[in-house]
Amino acid sequence: MSLVPVDGSAGELRASSGWALMASELSVLFRRRRTWAMLLALAAVPVLIAVAVRLSPSEVPPGRGPPFLDRVTQNGLFVAVTALVVSVPLFLPLTIGVVAGDTISGEAGLGTLRYLLVAPAGRVRLLIVKYVGTAAFCLAATLSVVTSGLVIGAALFPVGPVTLLSGDTIEAGESVVRSFLVAGYIMVSLLGLSAIGLFISTLTDVPVGAMAATIVLSVVSQVLNALPQLEWLHPWLFSHYWLGFADLLRQPVSWDSFGDNALLQAGYLAVFGSLAYGRFLTRDILS
Amino acid sequence: MMRPWVRWVPAAAVPAVIATVVVAAPFAAGADSTLPPKSPAEVVALAAGSDELSFTGTVEQTSKLGLPELDLPGSPDRAALTQAIDLLTGTHTARVYLDGPDKARLQVMDELGERDVVRNGNDVWVYTFADNTAVHFTRPEAPEDKGQHDERVAPGEVATPADLAQKFLDAIDPSTEVTVGNDISVAGRPAYTLILAPETSGTLIESVSIAVDGATGLPLGVDITSNSQTESAFSVAFTELALEAPGSERFQPPNGATIQEETLPGHSGALPDYPPATGPEYFSDHDAHPGSVPSGWTISGTGWATVVGIEGRNAASALQGSPLLQAAEAVDGGRLISTALVNVLLTDDGRVFAGSVPLKVLLDVSASSGQ
Repeated sequence: MSLVPVDGSAGELRASSGWALMASELSVLFRRRRTWAMLLALAAVPVLIAVAVRLSPSEVPPGRGPPFLDRVTQNGLFVAVTALVVSVPLFLPLTIGVVAGDTISGEAGLGTLRYLLVAPAGRVRLLIVKYVGTAAFCLAATLSVVTSGLVIGAALFPVGPVTLLSGDTIEAGESVVRSFLVAGYIMVSLLGLSAIGLFISTLTDVPVGAMAATIVLSVVSQVLNALPQLEWLHPWLFSHYWLGFADLLRQPVSWDSFGDNALLQAGYLAVFGSLAYGRFLTRDILS
Repeated sequence: MMRPWVRWVPAAAVPAVIATVVVAAPFAAGADSTLPPKSPAEVVALAAGSDELSFTGTVEQTSKLGLPELDLPGSPDRAALTQAIDLLTGTHTARVYLDGPDKARLQVMDELGERDVVRNGNDVWVYTFADNTAVHFTRPEAPEDKGQHDERVAPGEVATPADLAQKFLDAIDPSTEVTVGNDISVAGRPAYTLILAPETSGTLIESVSIAVDGATGLPLGVDITSNSQTESAFSVAFTELALEAPGSERFQPPNGATIQEETLPGHSGALPDYPPATGPEYFSDHDAHPGSVPSGWTISGTGWATVVGIEGRNAASALQGSPLLQAAEAVDGGRLISTALVNVLLTDDGRVFAGSVPLKVLLDVSASSGQ
């Protein structure tokens, strides 16, 4: 990285160093033991649910416990959806908060931020790379819940045609496709929170503070979303469409909330991305 | 080297752009109204000729009736009533598929759940995802009802704007002042606004506006305002509408669902299984004429100020243990369930009086009919 090729143009060098930075960021992120621990913990959620239902001597009565739980014994493919319903409010935002809050402040806390910026990558590029890394973790996190749910569900319970919310039935193969669609929806849902985490991370050199603040904000947003008195505010909260993934389980699929959600998350990304840009490019990097 | 403040320009510009788009979008959408002017009578005739359409649409219903948030128990025998009350609070979205007069499907889209009503001729399936039950209603043949909307829809159904508008249009009488307001745009379609206002001041209802599609006459939205609050008390309107027949398949209850068979009674005059709800369903009784009043029911007053009284043992037992009673407040001679559009008085001796009238009128009626 320190040698500047004489014949290479500066643009090419910057582009290639950007990809190199991205590759190194992703490999560092996914080689961390903490990342694996979080992914395994997420994968354990459906396993816990499936084993608990399997060992329980009595049938789960309809309408009790988390939604879809009573369908698990009839069809193992519901384990994945049940686990997502359980993970969306807390577990997923928790892990995203850890990864997003750590992005910049983690490097600052370790004293490695200076060295990252010595390379000719630039601060904007570092922000983008860090955000893409967080988004990749969002995808890995939701996929780990869904995949583990499908596998454990198929292992412990019968698998067959799946009843959708509308009462219509689809084949098991299509239901797997829908499960991954739901995972995609949830990954998109978490992009706004990731942007908030990235911004908070540029504010401090203490990674734990940035993580905690991000997680607290995700809880606050959900609490506000539950207060009927604040109904005017609800469509603006980044957690508002988090449980809207159920629209993908209707027949025909309703894409409305998918579009609304994507637009909302893009708005959060634009606002907090530009805030992070303003903060990170103007601050003095001392560590 | 850029000055530091330049770095903050995007952070200031992005929210400004978002705010501009959000503020400007409604103006851009509502800027078209090129409908030829029509008299109120012509708009009513236009709406009346809109029957037997096929369409696919999404309906949003918002109720601000002032009903308190109820702690609704999930006991199965009250499920239908619980759902009916649930539909009268907050906002609900439903997809509607209508294919001719006797094939229809309605999907009430709850968060993480759905309630479906599928009608195919005389077969009606009501499927509830939350408890995985499918109820199969069989309607008796009702040839004498030709041309009139069948009020005995399955419980838990959201009325489409067309259904609800039809009830109001049927009920227009000399006590109603009918005017045409400004043209509006509903679900992207230009529409006339028909405003029905009671001429009497002795009712809780301020006005009812019905959006009538300029091209087909299909009612696209109904909005009811109350004298007691500025925001509309109840509104239902299409947010999306396509005038094409849905591809309808026969509904099969899913495997593993609990299936109940029920036969809907004919118009025998028995008290309905579900007490008349305090809300839009009530208005289906507006046009009740004495010949069709069920036994034990009394009608007093006329037009908008009609009061329905239910006497006898059924009235009290129907509401026994109902979560609605949590919302009742004690008044002289009984308890009152008060909403923006309807007051319901439960007298201490077990009679029920309901109407879109102030409490005092209900008390007067109960006093005069009691002796």
